[in-house]
Amino acid sequence: MLYDVRLELHYDYEASVHGDRHLVRVSPASIPQVQRVIASSLSFDPRPQQETTFTDYFGNLVTTIAYSGYHDHLSVRLSARVQVEDLHSSADLSPDLSGLKQELAALWSVAPDSPQQFLAASPRVPLAPEITAYARESVDRTLSVRAAAMDLCLRIHRDFRYDKDVTKVDTGPVEAFALRGGVCQDFAHVMIAGLRGVGIPAAYVSGFLRTIPPKGKPRLEGSDAMHAWVRVWCGQHAGWVEFDPTNAMVAGADHITIGHGRDYSDVSPIVGVLRTSGEHSAKQSVDVVRVE
Amino acid sequence: MLDADGHVRPGWTELIGALDELGPEEVASRFERADQYLRDSGVYYRKYDGVEGKERAWPLAHVPLILDESEWLTITRGLTQRAELLETIVADIYGSNELVQRGLLPPELIARNAEFLRPMVGIRPASGHFLHFCAFELGRGPDGGWWVLGDRTQAPSGAGFALENRVATTRALSDIYGKMPVHRLAGFFRGFRDALNAIASGGEGRVGILTPGQHNETYFEHAYIARYLGFMLLEGEDLVVENGKVMVRTVSGLRPVDVLWRRMDASFADPLELRYDSRIGTPGITEAIRQGSISMVNALGSGILETRALAAFMPNLCRALTGSELELPTIATWWCGGEAERRHVIDNFDQMMVGSAFATGLAIEDTDGTVIGGTLPAAERQALLARLEAEGGAFVGQEQVHLSTAPLYIGGRLEPRPMTLRVYAARTRDGWTVMPGGFARIGATSDSAAVAMQRGGQAADVWVVSSEPVERVSLLPGEGEKLVRISAGSLPSRAADNLIWLGRYAERCEATVRILRAYNARLAESSNPDLALLKDTRAYLDGLGVDASVPLPHGLLAAIDSAVHSASQIRDRFSPDGWLALVDLRKTARAFAERVQPGDDATRAMTVLLRKLAGFSGLVHENMYRFAGWRFLEIGRRLERGIQIAGAVAWCTRKNAPEGSLDLLLEIGDSVMTHRRRFSVIAGVNSYIDLLVLDSLNPRSVRFQIAELHQQLEQLPGGVEDGHLSAAAKSALSLDTELRVAEPEDMTTPRLSRLGIDIGNLAGLIADAYFA
Repeated sequence: MLYDVRLELHYDYEASVHGDRHLVRVSPASIPQVQRVIASSLSFDPRPQQETTFTDYFGNLVTTIAYSGYHDHLSVRLSARVQVEDLHSSADLSPDLSGLKQELAALWSVAPDSPQQFLAASPRVPLAPEITAYARESVDRTLSVRAAAMDLCLRIHRDFRYDKDVTKVDTGPVEAFALRGGVCQDFAHVMIAGLRGVGIPAAYVSGFLRTIPPKGKPRLEGSDAMHAWVRVWCGQHAGWVEFDPTNAMVAGADHITIGHGRDYSDVSPIVGVLRTSGEHSAKQSVDVVRVE
Repeated sequence: MLDADGHVRPGWTELIGALDELGPEEVASRFERADQYLRDSGVYYRKYDGVEGKERAWPLAHVPLILDESEWLTITRGLTQRAELLETIVADIYGSNELVQRGLLPPELIARNAEFLRPMVGIRPASGHFLHFCAFELGRGPDGGWWVLGDRTQAPSGAGFALENRVATTRALSDIYGKMPVHRLAGFFRGFRDALNAIASGGEGRVGILTPGQHNETYFEHAYIARYLGFMLLEGEDLVVENGKVMVRTVSGLRPVDVLWRRMDASFADPLELRYDSRIGTPGITEAIRQGSISMVNALGSGILETRALAAFMPNLCRALTGSELELPTIATWWCGGEAERRHVIDNFDQMMVGSAFATGLAIEDTDGTVIGGTLPAAERQALLARLEAEGGAFVGQEQVHLSTAPLYIGGRLEPRPMTLRVYAARTRDGWTVMPGGFARIGATSDSAAVAMQRGGQAADVWVVSSEPVERVSLLPGEGEKLVRISAGSLPSRAADNLIWLGRYAERCEATVRILRAYNARLAESSNPDLALLKDTRAYLDGLGVDASVPLPHGLLAAIDSAVHSASQIRDRFSPDGWLALVDLRKTARAFAERVQPGDDATRAMTVLLRKLAGFSGLVHENMYRFAGWRFLEIGRRLERGIQIAGAVAWCTRKNAPEGSLDLLLEIGDSVMTHRRRFSVIAGVNSYIDLLVLDSLNPRSVRFQIAELHQQLEQLPGGVEDGHLSAAAKSALSLDTELRVAEPEDMTTPRLSRLGIDIGNLAGLIADAYFA
């Protein structure tokens, strides 16, 4: 499926800032057999004095911008055309949890994509006994890792309320779990914490959802902003499978990937260091249109 | 001191004999001499026993640890091999990762490690190496053999303390030291300094020491090493990354730096890509590393080698990578992620030091919650054993060590106490060199865990005694060596800012002390606090934030604290004597605050403080080289004096000023004698204004300050460019000109008040030009 993606992140600063520096991770990357980026352009207003790009440890595209002059706003605009393949198969080739653990024990690799990278607590996802216990129920009532992940994905969707007002960008999974609510980022962090807690490698994916649903289908939650979901390692044969707990589904052709990491902190759309005492306000707009 | 057979180890006989000969009294007085030296040099470390660390006197164990050269050679060989091995391991972890693929390192020790800095993966260090400076913690077993207890690769501290230990110890034992062929330390530092300069010579040739700042427990040492080796002492906020290059914000604008010998933990170096909550880092430094424009010593990420669990794999790694055994064994370590190893730790639980696999501190120092199995109460024991079974990979067990002892001089006798030794290795052009010495930590009790200084241990110098006379080395260039001049103008802006404030606060203290002295003297004479002049002076001081009804007002103590605070951030820039004078001033003022009474008592106290302030100013001004740094200090002093005098003149010459105001003004302007000499007959208000505002020869007049400011501002970088004055210099010149043509009667009260504000604005212009 072919999509045109438009994104604008806009920040207004109460006091003028200067000497600021940001890392921007919003450009989708081509992923073999999953998605192909046909065109992508990123622009900034005002124009930064320095701009460089690089690919980070997990393979995500990063743009560094720096300003030496004073400015009172910052706009980041992305427009991209991306071809997304719907390859996910419904066949479950995954082992059960003890089988997965044996496979992991035999996996002597710390390559960036190795499941070993996604087992431990990470900066934004601590492992919490209550979330682990919650995830354990899904393992106990299913026969395979993939089924357990799907079960957890459905339970989070059922048990948690989608509510933009109960959490903030820096809310952690423990708090979101206690509230049984939040947005896509919180749902993803809770699911990751649960899976890692029981020993299943899980990564955080950031990206977009198509805005207008296919005829007769409901509009997906979170399509008016950047989205997040979870990547789960289901063993050697099944490989990585992606789940969207916000929409209770396997992520497929409706999901356009920007990148992935251990949690939000590895793929946050913009990280910045500002030298300012004032507040700032932020706006985000996303538009994803299917071209054909 | 004694070997396994009870014989005195080589080298000791001479030292013990010499101490015996001196007798206990002489020994005590000599040891006091060493302590005095350390106090005078301001050597301290920070001890953490609560929220805030306190500065503590350096705990020198006066008797050095004596090591025979042949024993030392074993250590040197072993550590050279180890440093090479560590370099190979870290290069693999951040490179091709073959060690994991070959099954030599478990993936989780890397993937779960907080010191595995993912942004550094795939980057070859610009210098070609990850490691340049390492420290090793060694212990000696009862059989006399040395063991490596831990590797220090993150930001090893203590090399500067080793130097200070040497200086202090030789103060006490100069004659003995002179007779014994003890290896000197300077050559080691010289080699490393030259090595860093050689790395930097690919760029602009600048080396900096990156410190977390004055709150760090070893900040003293950072400043000391910077001074000793002639490197810039930099904090994260001194640096900015521009076009992929790390630049120092200096008073001459941005200047590149090529090598940073970092004393901060790697993850704090960059808030943008490493630790988002770091407040001491430099955004973008990772970018500069990626672009290969800066060499970090050691490379960011090298701290992963300190992981305690890694010790378990060292013997195998050494065999696999070099084909030979470790020359110095590592303390026996079992990573509980392996089935057999976990069983071993559980089976020998009572004799095991069990701690986190990812701990970086030494097990015997118990810094990361390490426990000895046998000492645990039943409930905790069961809990820990259960965790070992469930999540073994998170734990390591290490054999409980029994450290061999070194003599500690206690109450006139040498008592054996457990000892660890910290040794340093540096990469030079000729490969790794090991410092012939180091620093030994000696326990307060016979418990092996008591060697940590945070727990009362002491530090001793280490003498490596040769069998032949040794070469004397210093850092001064030898014959035929090129003299390298470091040019002025690379003064970091933050340092300049602190120098200005140091100058201002010191001067503010002086002005306040002078007014308080004049006030208390008059209070003592009249003993009526309601006298108009006294009330008026209190009101004036009140406007300065000083409550004169208290003998040592809070406002004065705060100004002294602020001066000390500014000075503490630039300890590398002025002499230890100046620092001690300032600390002494604070101590005296605080003691006075406890007991001094208003009136006569306070007058005398102020005279004491005034003398101490003059001592500080004298030490600093007579000893500081006239680099940009001195100019900023001088500018601060002149700005503040100008503001203070203008304010005092405006107040005391105003229309309704009470009787006696003009005399008071002369006294606080320190111009009583001059006034008497210059104006013997008529002494109207204009004579006071003339002397204290317009006179170009009176070092206390406003005009004198402005003229000095103008001169200094022109000398600063950018002060005059192509014949054009900087904004600050222009403003100073314009004020100077105005005062030059003015008559005393032009200096009305509003104009005088305005003058203080004009000088204050000048300070703003300087800040804009040099600190923005």
